[in-house]
Amino acid sequence: MILVDDLHKSFTAKKVTVKAVDGVSFEARDGEITGLLGPNGAGKTTTLRMLYTLMKPESGKVLVDGIDVATDPERVRRVLGVLPDARGVYKRLTARENIAYFGELHGLDAATIAERTERLSRALNMQDFLDRRTEGFSQGQRTKTAIARALVHDPRNVILDEPTNGLDVMTTRGLREFLKQLRGEGRCVVFSSHIMQEVAALCDRIVIIARGQVVASGSADELRALTGQDNLEDAFVKAIGSEEGLHA
Amino acid sequence: MKTLRAVMTVMRKELRDIFRDRRTLVLALGLSPLLTPILIIGLGTLGESRARSQIEKPLELPVVGREHAPNLIAWLEGQNVVIKAPPKDIEAAIANQDEDVILRIGPEFAQQWRKSLPAPLEIIQDSTRQDAQIPVQRLQGLLSGYGGQTGSLRLLARGVSPGTATAIQIRRTDLATPEAQRGRMLSFILPYFLIIAAFLGGASLILDATAGERERQSLEPLLATPAARGAIVSGKIAAACMLALISLLLTLLAFKLGALLSPTVGRQMEVSFPAIARLVLILLPMVFIGTTLLTYLAASAKSMKEAQSHMTWLMLLPMLPTIVLLVNPVKTQMWQFAVPFLSQNQLILKVVRGEVITAAQWALYLVAGFGLAGLLWFAATRRYQQEQLAISG
Repeated sequence: MILVDDLHKSFTAKKVTVKAVDGVSFEARDGEITGLLGPNGAGKTTTLRMLYTLMKPESGKVLVDGIDVATDPERVRRVLGVLPDARGVYKRLTARENIAYFGELHGLDAATIAERTERLSRALNMQDFLDRRTEGFSQGQRTKTAIARALVHDPRNVILDEPTNGLDVMTTRGLREFLKQLRGEGRCVVFSSHIMQEVAALCDRIVIIARGQVVASGSADELRALTGQDNLEDAFVKAIGSEEGLHA
Repeated sequence: MKTLRAVMTVMRKELRDIFRDRRTLVLALGLSPLLTPILIIGLGTLGESRARSQIEKPLELPVVGREHAPNLIAWLEGQNVVIKAPPKDIEAAIANQDEDVILRIGPEFAQQWRKSLPAPLEIIQDSTRQDAQIPVQRLQGLLSGYGGQTGSLRLLARGVSPGTATAIQIRRTDLATPEAQRGRMLSFILPYFLIIAAFLGGASLILDATAGERERQSLEPLLATPAARGAIVSGKIAAACMLALISLLLTLLAFKLGALLSPTVGRQMEVSFPAIARLVLILLPMVFIGTTLLTYLAASAKSMKEAQSHMTWLMLLPMLPTIVLLVNPVKTQMWQFAVPFLSQNQLILKVVRGEVITAAQWALYLVAGFGLAGLLWFAATRRYQQEQLAISG
């Protein structure tokens, strides 16, 4: 369960201040997939970075399973599994060693790591390349390794930043099934995307972000009703006020 | 406890990572232990054999106007000097380094000599040429010997004791220990090589693990784990220090081996195991100072390229004290043991020359060295707390 209340964040570069996140609030429940939908540069990644404690919000509050991100970031990171926008893997380590490294940093023992690795590699279908060094991995293999590594500590909450970016159709389908599986296990799943079809196909709850603000939120049906459009695509365009971000 | 475990985990991973990168490892670990002894032993042997051959070999001396002083020429030939015909263009021969030194005897020499007046001789040389110094000194020694001998004979012939003309007599007593005399040749290069091995021995690892990790986009996921940032950066520093330490030990062992194989260096340097242990202790703070400084710089760098470009001035830094001492030699004073690079330089020389380092000097040095390392470590971990650190690209 993740609660986000009125987040603000701005960046100053060369004396120009840009408001990246300007009052974002939403709620992501357990056993649901929540999608952050918005065009590139809308503030999705910055919002997520504040959720997983990489950045400090200027104002506003984030509660993960009731723990305040501002007061106890380390405990928050323990209950979070994160696939950031940057998902580099260590190329001189095998996929298994990459996963084990993060398991150890989470304080898990070797037996637990081995058992979780086994389970995740089956769920993500990575047996073929699990013991290969990640140098020369395809984009899909790298993403799978990064996801497995992010979930090795069996977190209740999962945050994924554009997880399907750069993946082919088959891998994307496999990944969607995996996210549904996570939801089925009662986890709270938050992911961001700029592709409307993907969000529509997967999410129980959609939060549309544009220019650092939440412009609409709710289930697909609620969004259609809210904007008075029958078609979700039209609803999205109406909500963000432009046609950018429609192209998948 | 939790923090220590994270430090160990990060350190193990970074070491495993670099040990799988064979080429980088060979360059990081192999180059200094291989090159440094070869260079120093080579230079030592070369320098000594050159000096010996220049001292013992017959001195080839072109003489202009030899017909004006046949007695002097005959005497010189009796002193292991081979008299040659002078080159056509004397100045060009010196400038082109065809000849080290040329003696010119003027036509007025014989006349002055007969009148018992000082007879002029001219030594033509290039004082900036290092390798011509020994021949010039030999010639000067011979000529003043000849002059003194003849002067004494003239006084004796006039019934005066030669002692009358010698108002003072200078005798030199050189108190430099034999070890110090031998170590002189090495005193300029050895500390530099050892300090560099310690100071930058972990550079390849730490640059790759900080700026490189950021560039490869794996830092953000790492910082999303519960491990504290201070623990992560400390683990990386620890791994780089291990690497630098291994490199340093290999370099010192290579010296030991080189000293056993080459009698020249064995005589020029103190390379017993206790001496090597003292060198390790001297260079240990340098390992920490170098690695933490690099971590601090790399953490502030925007890219790997920027981080690597720091290496240029870092390579020059350990040379500064040597250059300053060369231009402005100062006596060994207590404060010098608190100045980085200068203190290492002085202490390494003390060990190599077989001199005693007092307890107070050790204490000041170790407190100052580890204190600076601790300060830099603190600065590096502070850098890792910064928000923009994790965001790459």
